[in-house]
Amino acid sequence: MSMTRRELTKLVTRLEAGVPLSPELYARTGNARILGITGPPGVGKSSLIDRLIDELRRQGKTVGVIVIDPTSPISGGALLGDRLRMQRHSDDDGVFIRSLATRHHHGGLTDATPQIIHALDAAGFDIVIVETVGTGQDEVEVAEVADTVVVVLMPELGDEIQRAKSGLMEIADVLVINKSDLMNAGAARQETRRPKQGQRWERPTLRTSAKTGDGITTLCHVADAHHAHLAASGQLAGRRERAARAEVIRLLQSRMTASILCALGASRPQTILSAVAKRKLDPYDAAQKLWVEILGSKNRSHKYVATNSR
Amino acid sequence: MKRPIKVLIAKAGLDGHERGALVVAMGLRDAGMEVVYTGIRNTPEQIVQAAIQEDVNAIGLSSLSGGHMAQFTRVMELLKKEKIKGVLVFAGGIIPDADVKKLKKLGIREIFGPGSSIASIAEFLKKNVRSK
Repeated sequence: MSMTRRELTKLVTRLEAGVPLSPELYARTGNARILGITGPPGVGKSSLIDRLIDELRRQGKTVGVIVIDPTSPISGGALLGDRLRMQRHSDDDGVFIRSLATRHHHGGLTDATPQIIHALDAAGFDIVIVETVGTGQDEVEVAEVADTVVVVLMPELGDEIQRAKSGLMEIADVLVINKSDLMNAGAARQETRRPKQGQRWERPTLRTSAKTGDGITTLCHVADAHHAHLAASGQLAGRRERAARAEVIRLLQSRMTASILCALGASRPQTILSAVAKRKLDPYDAAQKLWVEILGSKNRSHKYVATNSR
Repeated sequence: MKRPIKVLIAKAGLDGHERGALVVAMGLRDAGMEVVYTGIRNTPEQIVQAAIQEDVNAIGLSSLSGGHMAQFTRVMELLKKEKIKGVLVFAGGIIPDADVKKLKKLGIREIFGPGSSIASIAEFLKKNVRSK
C-alpha cells in the first residue's frame, strides 16, 4: 500500500468535500479493477459484497469498497447502513470500506465517487467495489465508472416485461439473482454460459445466496471472465475512455450549473424568471433568453439545446 | 458546503439489544448528521478501524448487557494506540452511576442513560464536535 490508512481516509474526506485529487495521484491510477454492484434496495447487495470480500481475500487480493446510501431530502442527514453487513472485514489490513451519503446527487453514486475510486486505485487496491444506492429503473451512472457491472435482483421481483425494460437491466454485464435460498427447488436452472474468446459477451444469469454462500465462487469467476473478455477484446480501453469522458463532462456540467445559478441571482434574470411564473413568458423562451445573455455573444449562434429547440 | 457531522454508532461485544442504538442513529440522522451504523457484536478493533476508515467526528457506543467497562476501555485504548485525536466518544445504555465516573476518566465525554432525549444527544454533538 503506497499510503497509510490515515492518509487515505483523510484524502477521501477532502475529495468528498470537493477538493480535487492531485495530478500525481491520478497518474498512478488505472491499475485497479472496478466492480460495480447495483440493484433495488433490500436485495442483498451489501451482504453479497461481504461474501465477495471473503472470496477475493482468499485469492490474496486487496479490496477497496465504496458503499452509498441516500441522504434524507428532509433533514440532510443519512443513515449509512451498508457497512454493518461487512463490518467483520473492518480490521483486515487488506480491506478498506468507506460509506458515503448521496448528498442529493441523483444517479446512484455521489458527486465525488469517481475521484474516490481513483484514490483507492492510487492507494494500490487490486479491486475497487462500488455499491450504489438501492436503485430503481433509471440510476445507471455506475456503468460510467465500473469495468464490470453486476445487477443484483432477488426472486419474485417481476415478470419478463420488467426484465425487458430499459435502464438498469441494460447495463448489467452479469445478472445475479440473490436470495436464491428462497427459490423453489423447481425454479429456473442456473445459466453459466461463458463466451469463448473473441465472442460477444453473453450476459450470464447467476443464482447466489449471500446467506448460505452459494454461488459466490461462481460469481467471482464470472466477474474475472468478464474482465478478461474486456481486456482480450480491446473493450476495456473503450470503457475506460468512456469513464474518463463521462467524468470530465460531469465536472464541466457542475461548473456550468454553478455559474448559471450564480448568474441567475442578478436582477435581470430574476425579472425573466418572474415573467415565466406570471405566464407573460414561456419557459423555453426564457431559457433561450437567459442562455444567450448568461453565456455571452460567443454562444449566441448556438441553439440552447438542440432537442429542446422548437 | 459544510460537511455534516459524521457519527459512528456501534455496539461492542456480546450484546444484541440494538433498539436503543438504532433509535439514536435514526434520531441523529433526523438531526442532519451522517450516521454510520455498524450494528451489534462489533469487536473494539472493528469499531476503531471503522472509525478510521469512515473518518468520523464522533463515536457513539451502546451497551445494555453490562460489558461496558471491558469493551469501552478497550475501544479507548485502541484509539490512543492509533493516535486518533479529535474524535469525540460518547456512550449510552444501561450504565451504573459508579461506572459513569470511571468511563469519563477514560475519556468518554458523555454518557446518556435511559430517559435521555435524542435532542439532548444531538445538541451535545453539535456543541462539542470539532468540525473538520
